[in-house]
Amino acid sequence: MTRYVMVADLRRCVGCQTCTAACKEGNATPPGVQWRRVLDLEAGTYPDVNRVFVPVGCQHCANPPCMEVCPSTATGQRADGIVTIDYDLCIGCSYCIMACPYDARSLVDRTEYAFGEAATAAEAARADRRTIGVATKCTFCAGRIDAGTARGLVPGQDPEATPLCVNSCISGALSFGDIEDPTGPIATLLAENQWFRMHESEGTEPGFYYIWDKGKL
Amino acid sequence: MSTPAAREIRNVPSYCYNCVAGPDLMTVRVENGVATRIEPCHAAATIHPGLGRVCVKAFGLVQKTYNPHRVLAPMKRTNPRKGRDEDPGFVAISWDEALDTIAARLRDIRARGLLDDAGLPRVAATFGHGGTPQSYMGTFPAFLSAWGAIDYSFGSGQGVKCVHSEHLYGEFWHRGFTVAADTVHTRYIISCGTNVEVSGGVCAVRRHADARIRGVKRVQVEPHLSPTGACSAEWVPIKPKTDPAFLLALVHALLFEHERRALDLPFLRERTASPYLIGPDGYYLRDPTSFKPLLWDEATGAPVPFDTPGARPALEGRFTIAEAVTRGPDDEVRPQHNVAARTAFTAMADAVQGYTPDWAGGICDIPAETIRRIAAEFLENACIGETIEIDGETLPFRPVAVTLGKTVNNGWGAYECCWARTMLATLVGALEVPGGTLGTTVRLNRPHENRLKSVQPGEDGFMVAHFNSTGRKDWLAVPSGRNAHRTLVPIVGNSPWAQALGPTHLAWMFSSDAPKEWPAPPLPEIWFAFRTNPAISFWDTAEIGRAMARMPFIVAFAYTFDETNHMADILLPDATDLESTQLIRVGGTKFVEQHWAHHGVALRAPAVAPQGEARDFTWISTELARRAGLLERYNAALNRGAAGAALKGEGYDFSLAPEQAHDVDTIWNAVCQAATAELSHGAEVHDLDWFKRNGHYVVPFKREDWYLYPTMVRLGLRFELPYQERLLRVGVELGRRLHEQGIHWWDHQLDEYVAIPQWHDVPERWVQSIRDMGGDPDDYPLWGITTKVMPYTTGNNAGIPLMHEVSANLRNHGAVVINATTAASLGIATGDWVEVRSPIGATRGRAAVVQGCRPDTVVIPGQFEHWKTPFAKDLAFPSLNTVVPLSLALTDATGSGADVVRVALRKVAAPAEAGAA
Repeated sequence: MTRYVMVADLRRCVGCQTCTAACKEGNATPPGVQWRRVLDLEAGTYPDVNRVFVPVGCQHCANPPCMEVCPSTATGQRADGIVTIDYDLCIGCSYCIMACPYDARSLVDRTEYAFGEAATAAEAARADRRTIGVATKCTFCAGRIDAGTARGLVPGQDPEATPLCVNSCISGALSFGDIEDPTGPIATLLAENQWFRMHESEGTEPGFYYIWDKGKL
Repeated sequence: MSTPAAREIRNVPSYCYNCVAGPDLMTVRVENGVATRIEPCHAAATIHPGLGRVCVKAFGLVQKTYNPHRVLAPMKRTNPRKGRDEDPGFVAISWDEALDTIAARLRDIRARGLLDDAGLPRVAATFGHGGTPQSYMGTFPAFLSAWGAIDYSFGSGQGVKCVHSEHLYGEFWHRGFTVAADTVHTRYIISCGTNVEVSGGVCAVRRHADARIRGVKRVQVEPHLSPTGACSAEWVPIKPKTDPAFLLALVHALLFEHERRALDLPFLRERTASPYLIGPDGYYLRDPTSFKPLLWDEATGAPVPFDTPGARPALEGRFTIAEAVTRGPDDEVRPQHNVAARTAFTAMADAVQGYTPDWAGGICDIPAETIRRIAAEFLENACIGETIEIDGETLPFRPVAVTLGKTVNNGWGAYECCWARTMLATLVGALEVPGGTLGTTVRLNRPHENRLKSVQPGEDGFMVAHFNSTGRKDWLAVPSGRNAHRTLVPIVGNSPWAQALGPTHLAWMFSSDAPKEWPAPPLPEIWFAFRTNPAISFWDTAEIGRAMARMPFIVAFAYTFDETNHMADILLPDATDLESTQLIRVGGTKFVEQHWAHHGVALRAPAVAPQGEARDFTWISTELARRAGLLERYNAALNRGAAGAALKGEGYDFSLAPEQAHDVDTIWNAVCQAATAELSHGAEVHDLDWFKRNGHYVVPFKREDWYLYPTMVRLGLRFELPYQERLLRVGVELGRRLHEQGIHWWDHQLDEYVAIPQWHDVPERWVQSIRDMGGDPDDYPLWGITTKVMPYTTGNNAGIPLMHEVSANLRNHGAVVINATTAASLGIATGDWVEVRSPIGATRGRAAVVQGCRPDTVVIPGQFEHWKTPFAKDLAFPSLNTVVPLSLALTDATGSGADVVRVALRKVAAPAEAGAA
């Protein structure tokens, strides 16, 4: 079995938002929609303060609450763990947006462009009307994974089979791969470091791991 | 969405050099002729220290290309009146009209002479951030070379935009125009405000992240908790502008609170001037015959010239010297008989004896025990005596470093910081060795490609230093440029970069209020501006704007309308990053932390056709040269190497015919072939088509060449530390020259020329400046400082919506950052509108209330408050530049000031109306 997961090493992340920008451009998401973004969090009281940068997005949960509430069966789950949205089935009810504990889903009901009413040539070339009026979120760049694995490439190791955010990450904070590969880099990374997953108590079993060795955030 | 089968997809090699921390390599994805996204250059993962990746800024280049607000045709001004409130009345014109208009003025100037009656160049040019525009201006350097004298003194900003003092002192002491930790080897970094995780670029971010996983400890010393502080092991919230006291106290602690044998004594003895003897007049005691500085030879118990074979130098001590001479200012030779002497090391110890951690703690608002602990940790990690093998050579291993950020490195106090930082490295032998504090590149010396080759033996056992003369005969009494860099700043020298590193704000200030002792400086008759917006990026932006409006003829290479080209007479739309061709040098050691194990060249190939009538900069340059009658000189400059590689070398000749106007591809094809022939010593020649397919060509660069130490050993040279005899002498001479001219307005700056830097009340200078501006310091109780966020760290992208959107994930984007306790005392909550005011004006923004900021400090990130740049002008973001004065009193001896000002803070109901500030 394969389960693709993302690992964010919070010791490395500098909050630069390169992954945010790479995702937005690569997936042509409209203004305000960020499938990947990095939170800027602070804890403590001056002068004992911690500031931490936390990449977030769809956690591709093993037990996705979004799928549970989806009335149209648009939200699905692949055998490799990737949580999907079938735009042809989605009715835009937003139940999933309310159900997601990770604030990972977006819905826009009209087309907007970066500079206003008119699309730039790049936006026109990438416009996907299917994403208007439906829920959208991080896909783990499933299209790249599928195209890459079809060519024998390994997600997380070969760039052409790897999510764009991971490819772009300049600090090496983001890693991706099959957690079920016991000798693979993801399993090794998690075995050698302390990690947590967000909102574990919700029983979602996220496919997004955070490496962190400095105690409670 | 189009089906994949319908797409024609190309991946075009390119680079991003939008900030000095580049260049980084990238790929532009083009679908059916439209650039759709930026991707890393994965093919460069094995040769680029950042694995072939580019930072967030590069992802804005697609929007930059298709920005509907671009200027897409040449334009001319129709309203002769200039000013912020004047509509320029720009109308589109043909390229022929635009270029002929400029060329006619150029020819007229040439006929009358390149210099005006005051001896100043009639043509001036300003380019933006850190020399990076050169990587986008094609062959314009060849045009500038063909022209001749040009005034580069109108700057676009210092302070947070530049590590000015480090440039000058770093290059003087260890060929470090910029200075960095050897992050891949180091174990302990004291970072005084160095925001490397924001402005260090891809290579630095990756190196520091790897170092954190390896266990490096970085102590971040800064008034607010930046991303770099966030990623550090410890944050020390220091009071603004007290870093000199902190660093001097660390030097004190190493000298007085630890055993002497904990220092690298052999390094100090052999590789520095620590043993040189200082006479009672403050100058080196010299051998009366050879004039060489003396040291005390413990073997013979006598003074001997510093380079005496077999001598065992006394590192410290006080001695009586029977016969010697000193060399004072203006080559005064002073006989010395039976005089008391001390070593330079002892002089240093004497000078810092009072700078205890307890003393500094009160000044810096840092517990003395914290300073003591940091000094002890620095020493513990220095690994004195250990070695490491690099490229088969055994080198000292000293994995401790000290880095300085902008503002720390600018204006008053910066000399002290630069000296103390370099001395901390020197005391433990961690200067220019693996793990230590390194210079990265040179700009005041040559060659730029390899700083080691700039090291030549000079006076007194030191590297050669190229100061502007302060001698009676050769001092330049009448400035040759409008910022008087050769006249006022000896250390900056007179290299092609020197003028831009002089006191660039003086050019703006003197344009309206010139010193009476010099001929009144006429404004340049033509001012070229490219990738620069001083009307936003300099201090006192209102005054800069007024000065700019007086310029008689401005040619601006224009991307969109902006606050600077609002004053222009001609706008020329150049093809931007994804539309034009250029080959640049990559690798080796460049600015910041671009340390590669390779060096070579990379092509920025045009991914898409230029929008509108935008033209490749090389075409524009060639046409300007042709129409101005400079074609042969222009081609000669290209043949000499003005486009990055000499076209003729040993075993190859790709020279361009001098009398022809060559097209863009012909020129770059020759450069590509010449560069590869040069790099491969003739073994490989690759043309432009090859580069369009492959992007880059590199050859190995020795890692040993990251370090200056082996070169110093090979040449038997010493670092010119700790004692600054040369600066002391130069300062006295400069004072004499200025006073001989009746000039006394530079006297405070002369005070900085001391042999061992001493603390003075640096913050008080900014308090005094409030009084000087007619204010009451009690009305301005807070420190106003600035910082950067990566999406806006240079890059000219304030008008790019993607940068704004992703930056909004950061808490301080477009905000005034305020400590929570301070905010509560003023009734301010996050999101409230607040006003930050100094005596010269006010700026407004929304409050970001945080814990990670000193209670006495507010932070305004970036440089905004645009009033013309499309998109940016609607952001209603504040700018510290609006409230920082242009001030001679706040200018240090190197000619730099800092982005610091005392401010008042209050809650307001709404953003200010345009122009109300």
